[in-house]
Amino acid sequence: MAIGVLKEKGRKYVGLPEFARVSGQLVSELQLEQQRGTVTSVPDERTIRYYLAEGLIQTPEEKQGTASVFNYLNLLQLLTVKKLQAEHLPIRKIRELVAGKSEQELETLLGVRGPSGKNTEAKRYLESLLAPAPSAPPTETVAAPPQQLDASPHSWQRVEIEPGLELHVRSDYAPPATTGKTRSLLERAIHRLRRLRD
Amino acid sequence: MEYPKVEVFTTRAKLEAGREQTVDVLIRITPPALSLDHSTRPNWKGRPDLNLSLVLDRSGSMEGEKMIRARDAAMFCVDQMLPSDRLSVVTFDDRIEVLFPSEPVTNKQAMKDLIARVTARGSTALHEAWVRGGLTVSERMLDQGINRVVLITDGLANVGVTSTDEIVTQSMGLFQRGVSTSTIGIGADFNEDLLMPMAQSGGGNAWHVVEPDDMQHIFQTELEGLIAQYAHTVSLSLIPADGIRIVDVLNDFDLTETGRYRLPNLQAGSPFDIVAQLRVGAEEIGSQMRLLDLRLGFTPQDAKQAEVLKQAHTIEFASQTVVENSTVNDEVIKAVQFLMNARARNEAMKRMDAGDYAGAEAVLGSALSATRAACASFAAMPAVMEECASLQETSMSLKDRLKDKMSRKKLAYAAYTRQTTGKLDQ
Repeated sequence: MAIGVLKEKGRKYVGLPEFARVSGQLVSELQLEQQRGTVTSVPDERTIRYYLAEGLIQTPEEKQGTASVFNYLNLLQLLTVKKLQAEHLPIRKIRELVAGKSEQELETLLGVRGPSGKNTEAKRYLESLLAPAPSAPPTETVAAPPQQLDASPHSWQRVEIEPGLELHVRSDYAPPATTGKTRSLLERAIHRLRRLRD
Repeated sequence: MEYPKVEVFTTRAKLEAGREQTVDVLIRITPPALSLDHSTRPNWKGRPDLNLSLVLDRSGSMEGEKMIRARDAAMFCVDQMLPSDRLSVVTFDDRIEVLFPSEPVTNKQAMKDLIARVTARGSTALHEAWVRGGLTVSERMLDQGINRVVLITDGLANVGVTSTDEIVTQSMGLFQRGVSTSTIGIGADFNEDLLMPMAQSGGGNAWHVVEPDDMQHIFQTELEGLIAQYAHTVSLSLIPADGIRIVDVLNDFDLTETGRYRLPNLQAGSPFDIVAQLRVGAEEIGSQMRLLDLRLGFTPQDAKQAEVLKQAHTIEFASQTVVENSTVNDEVIKAVQFLMNARARNEAMKRMDAGDYAGAEAVLGSALSATRAACASFAAMPAVMEECASLQETSMSLKDRLKDKMSRKKLAYAAYTRQTTGKLDQ
């Protein structure tokens, strides 16, 4: 069932009605918690417009005539919003969770990552960890910047925090494991930003 | 599909009416026992297939008893596995060697012969060895089985990547991609602040082998745990009813991205205890009230998609006399006390790190008295006796500076098991 979503990868949907139709099908196919008592309405065009206005779905840049062309990322955004709504998260929190997420991350949030996808993914991930060829002798921990000459197949995603400020996130980046680590990461980020200003 | 059972207990079945109070709530999750019933799960063989990599430290410090026991334990592991499972062994010191890549466990003797030849030498390239072990697993990923690296070491990562944060983050990254990591630390000289978080964020278990003799027992428990794994990626949200507030969750869980409590893997048939403290307002005698809603999210081992189990718990209010004459639930008292003791152990560890040994001893001393007082009416229960003995023993060993490293590890692992497995015994 979940694999139905993955099949949509790379597809485009011309116009809001088409996008609403496909996503509607998937919402009921995925039974986003409907079975267990939560009412989840199938997204109609009006709901999708609302999501677009609220920034929950990224506004498509591509157009065919006057019709917007929606893509797989938009679809994942919509499905994830539906799923999180079914979990009763407030819109503000949902926006935080969905905004700027890559296809991969949204697939994970949705819980539709197929195991075959995971397979190569785990391997690629580990290979990327070995990438900066370990220099044999035990070296003192040098605080040198990561000097990857990027031979490895990483993709980068740009996430806009606010106008003029972007984060670049490598595809194999794993977010901090604990709230404590998140906090220390934020502190480091703030520190770096302050240095720019001074 | 058979769902886990979620039970909610309070110290007494009813709450006293007419006053505001803090209530200890024990939430017990019991996954169904392993079943061989094919009618409900046609593809189920009784246990998941295993795809394991043993990553074995052979650095100089392993020499002697530790190396012998580690080899024995690895061979024991081979014996316990089925031909439908896969195993690889990676050994490491400053060099990393794939002793054999991931293979079905069909020729057990050949595997054991190779393991028997591993001897101790060199320093500790822990990180790269872990990555290599992960690679052998990831090349043969099992869709519905368990893909796991078991890292066995007695030392500190001193070659290659050595940053704890980096390794722990990577362990989580690998788990998110389907391969979990367990760690087995031997003796007193490894880094518990690396191995415990590595297993916790890596979706596996952390074990401490105090004496080389314990190794086989630990291996057995790890294997049994793998075989009995019922679900992974487990999370819980607690939503108190209006007017009720969560004061504390004593297990000190990490939070998930969506703000839920991140729980350990669920083991078939073994209950897992969570204690929350709720602040409840004054209610009238005889009134019934919803206390909280629970949502347990988990991915069953033989399924691809996450499941969500929802449950609500209501409670009745009664007069003071009725409540005082009702039976006390010892399980709630014990669960609260043991989790408080886990915190005491972490606190003692902090004081140790700050050089305040007397303070650490005092913290454990008061935990011991508190346990004796709280559990007085069921003091003969084996778990209580064991807990008191453990607190006493660690408190004693704090007097000896030569035992510091071992004392700290005992504190760390005892706190960890109480908060994440609900069991005392590793």
